[in-house]
Amino acid sequence: MKDKLKSPLKIALHGIDGRTYKMMVMYLQGPCKGAAVVVEDLNAEVDMIDADSVQAQKLLEQKLTKSARPIIVLSLQELTFENILYVKKPVKTDDLLFALSEAGTMLSAKKKPSNQVSSYTENTVTRQSQESIDQIESRLPPEKNQVKKQTTNTNEQKKTSKHQTAMQLDEGKFNAYIGSVPGLDVNDPKQFPDAVYNPKDYFQGYVQSALMVASAKKQVMHLNSGWKPLIIFPHNHEIWLDADDKQLRAFASVAMNKISGPGITLTPAEPSVAPIKEDLEKFHDKDAFVWKLAVWTSKGRYPNALDIQRPVFLRHWPNFTRLVITPHALRISALLMASPRTLPEIAEVLNIKPQYVFVFISAAYALGLIGQTKREATEIIQPSVIKKSEQQGLLSRIIGKLRANKS
Amino acid sequence: MSQYKIIFTGPVGAGKTTAIEAISDIPPIKTDASASDMTKSKKSSTTVAMDYGIMNLAGGEKIHLYGTPGQERFDFMWDILITGGIGLILLLDNTRADPFQDMKFFLDSFQKFIAETNVAIGVTQMDLSNKPTINDYHIQLQGMGIKPPVFSVDARVKNDVSLLVQSLLYSLDPGIEA
Repeated sequence: MKDKLKSPLKIALHGIDGRTYKMMVMYLQGPCKGAAVVVEDLNAEVDMIDADSVQAQKLLEQKLTKSARPIIVLSLQELTFENILYVKKPVKTDDLLFALSEAGTMLSAKKKPSNQVSSYTENTVTRQSQESIDQIESRLPPEKNQVKKQTTNTNEQKKTSKHQTAMQLDEGKFNAYIGSVPGLDVNDPKQFPDAVYNPKDYFQGYVQSALMVASAKKQVMHLNSGWKPLIIFPHNHEIWLDADDKQLRAFASVAMNKISGPGITLTPAEPSVAPIKEDLEKFHDKDAFVWKLAVWTSKGRYPNALDIQRPVFLRHWPNFTRLVITPHALRISALLMASPRTLPEIAEVLNIKPQYVFVFISAAYALGLIGQTKREATEIIQPSVIKKSEQQGLLSRIIGKLRANKS
Repeated sequence: MSQYKIIFTGPVGAGKTTAIEAISDIPPIKTDASASDMTKSKKSSTTVAMDYGIMNLAGGEKIHLYGTPGQERFDFMWDILITGGIGLILLLDNTRADPFQDMKFFLDSFQKFIAETNVAIGVTQMDLSNKPTINDYHIQLQGMGIKPPVFSVDARVKNDVSLLVQSLLYSLDPGIEA
């Protein structure tokens, strides 16, 4: 290969950002042992194009129509084109050296003194250029042919509540923020059967039902609870509520039949209601809203639909950066992602109070993230023992550091 | 003392440098190589496309935060970076044409490293482009047979980056107590 490349090929780079450009310069000099050097476009013998760049198609068209130079294309996709040398990403040294060697051979053929050869080559390149363009257009994925259209307008960034980072609660803040049920010690195993609640008895249940209806009808809906206006936007997975978190937290814990249960209605709403346009900060992500509503309704209890003796599993990690993070929620998630467990087992294995397990399970259940194994399968499912990392001490110190610097 | 690393990867513009800056105790360093290291004919310095930060732990331990070159995708560099890595943070830009393709590329490329350690995925720019949703990412990942944490992340916000890294560490060992 080296014999063919006695003098370095002169390459022009296209569709490659500044950092990558410098990286490629070094890569050609280092791992590629100087097989090619990067030069200005005017002085180049070979073009190298990143086919995954936004302007890739335009660059390829330009080079194929206006230049007869060999082209090396770097791409994530498997590509086979006439007159284009393809190197699959991640770029491997041998692959790139081979492409450079081929480019050198193409150049040598073109430099032969015979006019016939030269003319033939140029004609061939020109004729095949249009074919290549057509091929490129048809073979490149559609996404590559256009810049992604933004799906939202600038209002999205003004929905500050929706994109607010998570509040991470520690044990000390739990009772003050989440609250508790008078006369019930949810951490006492003897009282576990009583540590349940029915979401349908609370605002949570009405909101969840309304969300299902709005989603099924694909219709903006207004939940009239006799409290604050709540509007559901199913297409954007958003909820607009004319109340702050403090007000919502207080309302969440009140049983609805004590207020206006039968009087609650759900009606279609106009999405362009004036107050909504002005109060963009009152928009909430649907999941984040339901999550915190469940947390405040639970107060450390678990939903009555779950059997505490049967293992539960987590379908996937919650999007924690946009949720209220109850104590040990990340640990519980990691544990459940490894294997299903009963709620008391989770508390036991992680050595934490059951209330932290119950409140997390309540919130995750409200989002449909919790499933429960069937009774017949319970005996088959043996929770795996937590594999203790050899670096547990180190990992613990990193987490301590991260949590100490939350600002 | 051992060298501990957390690797940040993802396409250009996904926020690797910003994320490292958010949790690093030092301003991120872009490693510059002097001209003599590369070529005698060139005099100017050249930036080697790699970001670097440090987290200082109590007791003098240091966690090195490395950002892989983005679109460069030269695996020789990645191999060097991941040696001794604790785990992988993959940042994806939701405004890119096909973030799922990006995700697949990086997960495939780091497959061996992920199998030996773990990965957590942060999706950035969701305030500019809210589709695909986080749930869409989980559906894609389900097809790939893995279930890593996937969070919306604003790489400028320390808490977002911190939570993403915490999820990676808890995935490695849920028994960790801070």
